[in-house]
Amino acid sequence: MRYLKYIIIIFFINGCSSDSSDENAIVSTDDTPATVTNALLDFSVPTNFPDATYSIAQNPPTERGFELGKKLFYDGQLASDGVVSCGFCHIQSFAFTHHTHITSHGVDGRIGTRNAQPLHNLAFMNEFTWDGAAAFLDTQPIIPLTAEVEMNETISNVISKLEADDTYPTMFYDAFGSEGVTAERMFKALSQFMVMMVSANSKFDKWERGEAVTFTAQEEAGRIVFDTKCASCHAGTLQTDQSYRNNGLAMVDPFNDIGRERVTGLPQDHLKFKVPSLRNIEITFPYMHDGRIATLEDVLDFYTDGMVDSETLDEQFRRDDGTLGLDITPEEKVQLVAFLKTLTDNDFLEDRRFAEF
Amino acid sequence: MKKLIVLCLLVSLAIACNNDESTNTPTPGSLNLVFQNTIDASPLVMNDLVYTNTSNENYGINELKYIISNITLIRLDDTEYIYPVEDSYFLIDEEGNKTASLVNIPADTYKAIKFGFGVDPTKYPIESGTLNFVPLAEEADMLWSWSAGYKFIKFEGNYSVNSGSEIPFLYHVGSHGATLDNYKEIIIPVSNMVIQSNGENDNITERNIQFDIAKIFDSIHTLSLEAKNEIMVDPENAPKIAENISTAFSISE
Repeated sequence: MRYLKYIIIIFFINGCSSDSSDENAIVSTDDTPATVTNALLDFSVPTNFPDATYSIAQNPPTERGFELGKKLFYDGQLASDGVVSCGFCHIQSFAFTHHTHITSHGVDGRIGTRNAQPLHNLAFMNEFTWDGAAAFLDTQPIIPLTAEVEMNETISNVISKLEADDTYPTMFYDAFGSEGVTAERMFKALSQFMVMMVSANSKFDKWERGEAVTFTAQEEAGRIVFDTKCASCHAGTLQTDQSYRNNGLAMVDPFNDIGRERVTGLPQDHLKFKVPSLRNIEITFPYMHDGRIATLEDVLDFYTDGMVDSETLDEQFRRDDGTLGLDITPEEKVQLVAFLKTLTDNDFLEDRRFAEF
Repeated sequence: MKKLIVLCLLVSLAIACNNDESTNTPTPGSLNLVFQNTIDASPLVMNDLVYTNTSNENYGINELKYIISNITLIRLDDTEYIYPVEDSYFLIDEEGNKTASLVNIPADTYKAIKFGFGVDPTKYPIESGTLNFVPLAEEADMLWSWSAGYKFIKFEGNYSVNSGSEIPFLYHVGSHGATLDNYKEIIIPVSNMVIQSNGENDNITERNIQFDIAKIFDSIHTLSLEAKNEIMVDPENAPKIAENISTAFSISE
């Protein structure tokens, strides 16, 4: 009866079902309770969230696909040195970023040029990385896998290593219902793991959903300041309008990072970086694309007093008197930090489904 | 036995799903599209600076690679046979493979061939195939290293102006993230191209498609190497090259 599961899985994956509305269906039947099944995972959009941007219907996360994606995510074999996995720089307890280095670390101790971004709510993002170099989640891993200062490997080599591995071929079969360790399946499995990383259980979420939480006076004051002075860019439930902006960070050695201009070639994108989501911001320090600011307090000081001018600086930071920055009082800064901490989602940080061990 | 059952089920499913094709599908045949990179209707001579563009620059070519995708054959009645997208990505290399070998094509008479130059971002990566093309493209250095996208063409060589010293040039054109799409769809008519079923014979229809390389510099737009000898993620010039290329294909029968 073992083959039955594959038939059922194949039916589901390759079948005619143009509607994927029934995403909670279990890909199994009562006839085969003893066999290994490949259940569709419950990807549901939190009620306070926008619609997902990732096409769940075209790559629905399954139990086995998620398991495969997780193994890939934490597997150093994917790097040229056999050590630096995705999870090396993306550590769950820090919302899948890291703290020990300002910018990312790669094979042979090489240093990247940018601060590893946290991974959460990726199913709701339009583009990926600080400059939007990846327009699709499925292709984003190409960048860290092949970057010399990150995992420094070729996709062909990765596939060869996985094919030669004792367990991967079976896991690919189980996840996708047929033989084949392919690049597409690898990327899709990684996406299945990553789209399930939904962080939606912070105090802020509960407040948004009208659940039984109350903001302290300081948090509530901070929320109001945030809405007035930050939310034009850090907009909506995920605190980002997903635009690219120059927020007045000086271009500095040794990175001399030109930002989104590298992707588009457009001079007007010089020094622009993606407005990041502020989810779990309390524990994703250091801050900014190159991790140059260590604390939230310093970030707020930067926004009031630290900007440098350049042609593409966002107009919102120009004061009438010609100086640069936002007007936030010291008291408001304390309130803002209190509010930002309501974005920490401990359920997500401790969710065993995503844990390496 | 188990595999057989799975296979049977798959086949039956495939048939069951395939409701956009006529029920009495003709037996399939094969088609080889051979890409011939030419200048003045002659095969390319590599490396030497034997060519001259309309800007009076002498140039030679060291490397020429490009991606062909999404091949569709148009029948006499204007209906289309869309080659399976996942098998539809081909790397054409002047110094390597230049043939797109298509199999299992319904035997019929076709009047045009449609294909993509580059990778269609609307099919990338959701429809299957584009991600499986990644390893081949990467080995051929057709993947931007810092970005998750394809180079549609890699065109490199040397040039000189007024018999001066040789200067390298480099054109790399792809799409720029989600902001600029340089993918082009190209349709070339063919006169009653018959695809015969393979049957017991090895019937492979073959067509040569010429890519007039001179048109990269001179077609809708004129590109001077002296004005710019390195075009890469260039929002002004990359679209011009893509538009020029879209005029450069023809077929000889």
